[in-house]
Amino acid sequence: MNETAMSVGWHQSRRGRGHRHKEQGRANREQVVEQKAEDSVPHGTCMTMCPAYELRQREAQNRLHRFEMVAGTERDRLPSADVSRAVKEYSRPAAGKDSTRASDLRPPSVLLKTVCHLVDEIAASSTSQPWTEVYSFVFDRLRSVRQDMIIQRVSGPDCVAVLEKSVRFLLYASYRLCGQQLQYFDPRINDTHLQECLSWLLESYRDGKHQHQEEFQALSLLYNLGSSQANTHVLELPERIRSSPAVQLALAVSRAHMERNPVRLLRLAQRLDFIQVCAVHRHLLPCRTDLLLLYSHGHSSRNCRYPLQRLARLLFLKDALAVQLCQVCGVNVTEEWVNFSKSSFTDTPSGDLQCRRMHEPLDDERWNCSAGSVIHGCV
Amino acid sequence: MAHITLNQYLQQVLEAIDSRDGAFCAEMLSFKHPHVANPRLQLSSPEEKSMHLHSFQAHKEENWALPIMFAATLDLRIFANNAEQQLQSKGKGKVGDMLEKAAEQLMSCFRVCASDNRAGIDDSKKWGMLFLINQLFKIYFKINKLHLCKPLIRAIDSSNLKDDYSTAQRVTYKYYVGRKAMFDSDFKQAEEYLAFSFTHCHRSCQRNKRLILIYLLPVKMLLGHMPTHQLLKKYDLMQFADVTKAVSEGNLLLLNEALVKHETFFIRCGIFLILEKLKIITYRNLFKKVYHLLKTHQLPLDAFLVALKMMKVEDVDIDEVQCILANLIYMGHIKGYISHQHQKLVVSKQNPFPPLSSVS
Repeated sequence: MNETAMSVGWHQSRRGRGHRHKEQGRANREQVVEQKAEDSVPHGTCMTMCPAYELRQREAQNRLHRFEMVAGTERDRLPSADVSRAVKEYSRPAAGKDSTRASDLRPPSVLLKTVCHLVDEIAASSTSQPWTEVYSFVFDRLRSVRQDMIIQRVSGPDCVAVLEKSVRFLLYASYRLCGQQLQYFDPRINDTHLQECLSWLLESYRDGKHQHQEEFQALSLLYNLGSSQANTHVLELPERIRSSPAVQLALAVSRAHMERNPVRLLRLAQRLDFIQVCAVHRHLLPCRTDLLLLYSHGHSSRNCRYPLQRLARLLFLKDALAVQLCQVCGVNVTEEWVNFSKSSFTDTPSGDLQCRRMHEPLDDERWNCSAGSVIHGCV
Repeated sequence: MAHITLNQYLQQVLEAIDSRDGAFCAEMLSFKHPHVANPRLQLSSPEEKSMHLHSFQAHKEENWALPIMFAATLDLRIFANNAEQQLQSKGKGKVGDMLEKAAEQLMSCFRVCASDNRAGIDDSKKWGMLFLINQLFKIYFKINKLHLCKPLIRAIDSSNLKDDYSTAQRVTYKYYVGRKAMFDSDFKQAEEYLAFSFTHCHRSCQRNKRLILIYLLPVKMLLGHMPTHQLLKKYDLMQFADVTKAVSEGNLLLLNEALVKHETFFIRCGIFLILEKLKIITYRNLFKKVYHLLKTHQLPLDAFLVALKMMKVEDVDIDEVQCILANLIYMGHIKGYISHQHQKLVVSKQNPFPPLSSVS
């Protein structure tokens, strides 16, 4: 008999299979496998926001952040660490580095307390200035919190609460720091982390009941306006969640976007609450430009004029801003009238007009007051 | 089959391998074959299957084992599906895990086939490519990772064998590529692929023809071609009947009702969002009626507002009417312009509502 590769392989795989395999029984084997899996998942024992080892090390190497120092020691040669304010920083996993030491990992309850500290004492505090530095610090420390959650395979209510606050923080930041210089705020990096948190959060919602699910399904849809994947996801949600006011409003906005009806979209946007505006705001400028594009074609005529004030109202912009937007898009505008022409509209990317110019003009004081309640979701 | 011993079974398989009878060997290995019911043969383990996949590559300049690979990969995908369902019912495991792993295995088979440049055309493993691609498509669509289809499509497009595969394989391939084109909003392409798939699908495969039609219908409707009642009845797709009626009459009320009524079906098939795109066609048909009624080329905007209100379209005002009209003009569905000062839509005296199929 010729021994081909296949038959040899079959003989080899027969080894080790026999009575023992049959005796143990399948159910038993499954249990053993599960137990083994359980044992290899680390469980954190660090009850402070920052592991003691890291705290000592960073203090000795002068690598504490301003927000972690004992008040008054900031200008010392070696500032002192404030145990009640120091937070574990994010560190990239690397070969040879053991990130699973239990004493360095924080259990879910501590992680939640850490997030609350970051939001209440840092992000919402009026004494932490400038806010770009606040963002940088909180962003990094939240990332470390999520890292601890991943290593310990945390799931359940604590995980959901941490993710919800992270999402709100990142959405809020995307609005407040919109238009800032790239070195202080990179919208793409913020977006990457926001999407990661959102998909993890939405995945967690599949099991059990969650109090804020409707709110976040709506926020996810608004943030990802125009994405058919996000739309399909919402359409497949259970009736109870889909019919909630938040999701219905988000769906209405999404429908207006899909039907390419910017007049309707901008009107619906007025009914959004603050955090929802944060989620959708980056889509509003393109929506306004689209309105000008559609009207440039629809109202294209040498002799006709359109009242500027009415256009400004449709765009939900002050007259001066509406004029600027028209100019950037190549739409002819005089003091009171707009003359649409499909040949004069230009599709210059970004142009000179920034999204930021169209935001609510809040001053720093009012920004700080609103931060805490917005991020915790008590508005 | 039910009575042979393990040794007899293996003897048959080995003989098939020796004589390079790929088809028979494939049958013997497939889980669809009656031999599976034989309890004496149930020592065969999954490891065997992956062993076969590795040794397959060792066949230089031969491709007689292709049917075996087909059977093995098909079983692999079906097992992965079942494994997914079992895990889901127990509440364990991340959705799509099993299928992704199966896809990885299939990709390695695919690479073996695609890189077979040495053998002559008759012995080339490239003939296995389309089958594997179809299996991979099925997985990618299931786990909703359509972007992974792109490199596979490119591979076939650049292949010189693409028109020579069996019709069955090509029908399946065009079905999935057509669906992907729909997803990318490339409706002209989608129509081309899905129409090919439908006409070339064997008339005895009613179930498959119906599946293709589910996706072909919305695309055709977007291009202005409504299905006949006869066709819908023949393939048991009466869910589309109300939608069709609403769109051709310009009846927005009926369209909304129809979409809500069969929501579950449309969402499950993944065509709900595309059907919503029919709204703009419905507006166009409604406004065309207004034009025909008023018999003038200077149409008061108010007339359109009245028409919309009659269709129970809620909270719409003159500004939104202008926006909808502007959109239709921009898309080329209406030839004309809006005069806000005169509150009129002025349309071209010639062919103001061009036929839908001529508008891209």
